[in-house]
Amino acid sequence: MKKLAKEKELTEELSGLLEEHASDLKKQWVKEMTEMGLLEKLTPVEIDQQSTAIYDTCVLTLKTGVYEAAKKYAREMARKGVLEAMTVEQIIMGMLKLRDVYGRFIFSKYQGDPEKLNEVLGIYEPVANRILSIVALAFVEEREKSIKEQQRAMLALSTPVLQIRDQILALPLIGTIDSARAAQIVEQLLNSIVATQASIVIIDITGVPVIDTAVANHLIKTIQAAKMLGADTIITGISPANAQTLVTLGVDLSMMTTRSTLRAGVKLADEMLRLEVVEKK
Amino acid sequence: MALQIPILKIEEFLIVSFQTELSDREIEELRESILEKIKEQSARGLIIDITALGVIDSFLARSLSSIASMANLLGAKTVVVGMQPAVALTLVELGLRIRWNLATALNLEKGLALLRKNLREEVTSLG
Repeated sequence: MKKLAKEKELTEELSGLLEEHASDLKKQWVKEMTEMGLLEKLTPVEIDQQSTAIYDTCVLTLKTGVYEAAKKYAREMARKGVLEAMTVEQIIMGMLKLRDVYGRFIFSKYQGDPEKLNEVLGIYEPVANRILSIVALAFVEEREKSIKEQQRAMLALSTPVLQIRDQILALPLIGTIDSARAAQIVEQLLNSIVATQASIVIIDITGVPVIDTAVANHLIKTIQAAKMLGADTIITGISPANAQTLVTLGVDLSMMTTRSTLRAGVKLADEMLRLEVVEKK
Repeated sequence: MALQIPILKIEEFLIVSFQTELSDREIEELRESILEKIKEQSARGLIIDITALGVIDSFLARSLSSIASMANLLGAKTVVVGMQPAVALTLVELGLRIRWNLATALNLEKGLALLRKNLREEVTSLG
């Protein structure tokens, strides 16, 4: 209890000191960052606003022991790119610099009393470390979020179902096929079949680098599902290497109709529909 | 209670359209009346329209399969038309446990065309 009370007292003393010397310390901080060339692309107004905001948030966090404000600010900084003109490295360097400025200030204040200096540092350092980790994490999280969004967007773009004749759909597959993507492909294909009432689907897998048992199974399921709706499927573009793999793996593809190229597949589909492409006279 | 599912006749074919989900009992009753009707009309084909069904359980899937085999013995080929994508996916997932040997077509029109084609081919191969 006594220890806690003492810590509280010291925390208040320290945050009081930091608030009192806020303008000096901030000036020192900005000066050092400028010397390091971290602020080159910011306007003086921006520098003033941001440094004040960061400084105040840090002191507030120290004072209250509540990290919510710091988290919120860091997230905002990462999301909106408040400091657009600065790279992540520069921002982290800037935050480290602020830590140094505080640290040196504390040293100079308490250097006459090593015991107290030790205690104050014991309070200050965990807070400073935590704030830094919050800032770094906010950027990592933001980046992960945008990567996920891009993946989703790519997934949506990656399976175009093209109608190449009244009754024929083509589905060129490009890239690796995992379960999530396979499920999406089947769904999209079945919906397109119903929407267009097409009776033949050509799946071209020229762009699929590796076809293993799992991919083959996905293909078989897709073919079966299309068959149940009443559409036949032709697979085209299996590379010689993939053909060897499939046979070696012992995958039973007897129910697949295959052709070497998309062109041959279209031709077969035309034959199945009894269509003929003739040159105009 | 008697079933209210009409069995329609067009040319030499019968058409049955499922409008609601049926209980297992009702499905069996329907199977009997379909087979009776095939015999009575000497139908050559049977079209089962399941456009309105959002769900097909394993019992119905098996029943459709057996109706097809039975109708085949009576001389009628069966085509299932209008299956919903979600239903097809479910059936494929269940695939290992259900024997599915039915002809399918996208819609009634294509189902009829398929039956006519089968009939023609049968006649030519026999003749």
